[in-house]
Amino acid sequence: MLLINRRQLLGSSAIALLLSLQSARAAIIKGGLPWIPGAADPPTRVTPDGWQFFNAQEAAAVEAFVDRLIPADELSPGGKDCGCAVFIDRQLAGPYGRFAGYYMSGPFQEGTKQQGPQSPITPAQHYRKALAALDAACRDKFGGKVFADLNDAQKDEAIGGLEHGTFKLGGTDSQEFFKLILKDTQNGFLADPIYGGNRDLAAWKMIGFPGTHYDYRAWIDRHNQRVTLPAIGIADHPNWSL
Amino acid sequence: MRDKKHWPLACVFGTIALCLPLAGADAAGIDSQNFGQVERGHYLTVVGDCAACHTLPGSGHAFAGGRPIETPFGTLFAPNITPDPTTGIGAWTDDEFVNALTKGTGRNGTRLYPAMPYTYYTRLTRDDALAIRSYLNSIPAVDNPVQVDQLPFPFSMRWTLAVWDQLFFTPGTFHPDPNKSAEWNRGAYLAEGPGHCGMCHTPKNFLGADETSQKLQGYALQGWFAPNITDDARRGLGGWSVDDIVAYLKTGHNKTSAATGLMSETLNLSTSKMSDEDLKAIAVYLKDQSAGGNANKTASADPPDQAVMKAGAQIYADECAGCHAADGKGEARLFPSLNGSPVVQQTDPTTILHVVLRGALSVATKPAPTAPAMPQFAWILNDDEVAAVVTYIRNSWGNSAPPVTASQVEKTRQMLLERSD
Repeated sequence: MLLINRRQLLGSSAIALLLSLQSARAAIIKGGLPWIPGAADPPTRVTPDGWQFFNAQEAAAVEAFVDRLIPADELSPGGKDCGCAVFIDRQLAGPYGRFAGYYMSGPFQEGTKQQGPQSPITPAQHYRKALAALDAACRDKFGGKVFADLNDAQKDEAIGGLEHGTFKLGGTDSQEFFKLILKDTQNGFLADPIYGGNRDLAAWKMIGFPGTHYDYRAWIDRHNQRVTLPAIGIADHPNWSL
Repeated sequence: MRDKKHWPLACVFGTIALCLPLAGADAAGIDSQNFGQVERGHYLTVVGDCAACHTLPGSGHAFAGGRPIETPFGTLFAPNITPDPTTGIGAWTDDEFVNALTKGTGRNGTRLYPAMPYTYYTRLTRDDALAIRSYLNSIPAVDNPVQVDQLPFPFSMRWTLAVWDQLFFTPGTFHPDPNKSAEWNRGAYLAEGPGHCGMCHTPKNFLGADETSQKLQGYALQGWFAPNITDDARRGLGGWSVDDIVAYLKTGHNKTSAATGLMSETLNLSTSKMSDEDLKAIAVYLKDQSAGGNANKTASADPPDQAVMKAGAQIYADECAGCHAADGKGEARLFPSLNGSPVVQQTDPTTILHVVLRGALSVATKPAPTAPAMPQFAWILNDDEVAAVVTYIRNSWGNSAPPVTASQVEKTRQMLLERSD
């Protein structure tokens, strides 16, 4: 026999009522499609001044890190000069930093690989913890120096150790952190410059991607040819200047 | 709904009226049972677009007035023209009504502001004016007092309008031109009379009167430029066939163009509801309107600055060509053609700047309900960039119009920020 007490009943009724109130209310559109003059929802352009998430020490570590993942060479400037650290900082300060698009209310169980991230730790928390642990681990291993102060060979050694799980970070999975910062650096390098990375369209110029031209119809049938259009971004149009 | 309680009675009389032989249109007056006259009056209010001013959109009260009418001299409020005896025109005699419509005289001899297009309605026959009256008698009376005069001094002084009328108003019904076809004359009557096309499309002098020497050559009002609708091949309708004009007036769209802005409302309330024959007559008349000495002139002796054109071409390729295509021809019935477009080549660039800075929604009509819209580009293009791309569009593919400067863009941007519509 089911026993439901008064409080449970009222509680469940309240939830049912709440759910029914929040159920989708479709707008009724008559005549023509709705349209508002002057409406636009443009992305806000990231400017490279200051840090919104990292403290100075974290910022130094991330700048040093991205500059070893993408070192300056004849193909492109380094990850730091391309703004990858700025990109990561703004992302961590925004919705991505708190996994705003994810269900984050638990229960948290270890899932299969196919089930994607199952951790209650947000990217922002992950960076905060792992960067502190990285500097601590570097001090232990490299004579009291934090990651940013290491020479290139030592940085590469530390990064390689993270990648292969041989350089342990206290309290954090070093391989997971390596994967995270590598992916974020790649995203910063290749995303539109409006988000802070890919400064001066360096990455797109490197790979020959002409960017956000509206209309590529003239190129559809021109197979195996290099697109000669100049690289442009959402708000970066060196070709527009008089 | 003060008429509701009379319904049974009205039905009885209605039935009796149907049983009687039709008396025929009485040219001398109004017969409320002459449904042909009422229906003709209804059609004429559509042609005259009376609702555009006299119905407050969204109020649900047809012709009850109260809509603010923007003029260069201030804002007027359109009066209530329902048959309500105190706040409408129910107590007016037929002669008072006809005088207001065709002579600009209100009751008690006051002058109407020429925002009321009596300068055009004067060409109406008395028959048609009475038909309009008979229709307005048939609509529900609405009690809605409207304070019409809210103009600032000196325009608040109505007696000055008598002087204005002396200077600029030529009363008199339409005289057909015996050398033209009946269709042409019908078009002329509609366009120059009830249709009052020139109210928006004819340039005005400093006192708001038509510059009759530049009839239908375009005029800037309410944030737009009502384009030249003479037969000018570059800036007017010269490139459009009669069928193109009819399609535009009927559906808001034809194979190269789409209506937006103020014309959307005119289309919705008026031209889309007119008969195909009348639209064709108007088209035939407009196609016969000479553009005068300015016809088909290229804009200026000096070609636009090459650096501006080069930047404009890049911006066009990156932001515009996706819809309007590299050759400016757009997609028929979806994206307007800029190539050869009269709107684009108006000497006054207000409309093209308005559309680029604010975007535009084309009109939705029953035959063409899609109403494609264009997004705004104010967020991404600065004044120099707008000037460059607009100058490029106005001077490419055979187009020719004066270059647009960054300061013109800045002024238009400011004007649009101040407009709530």
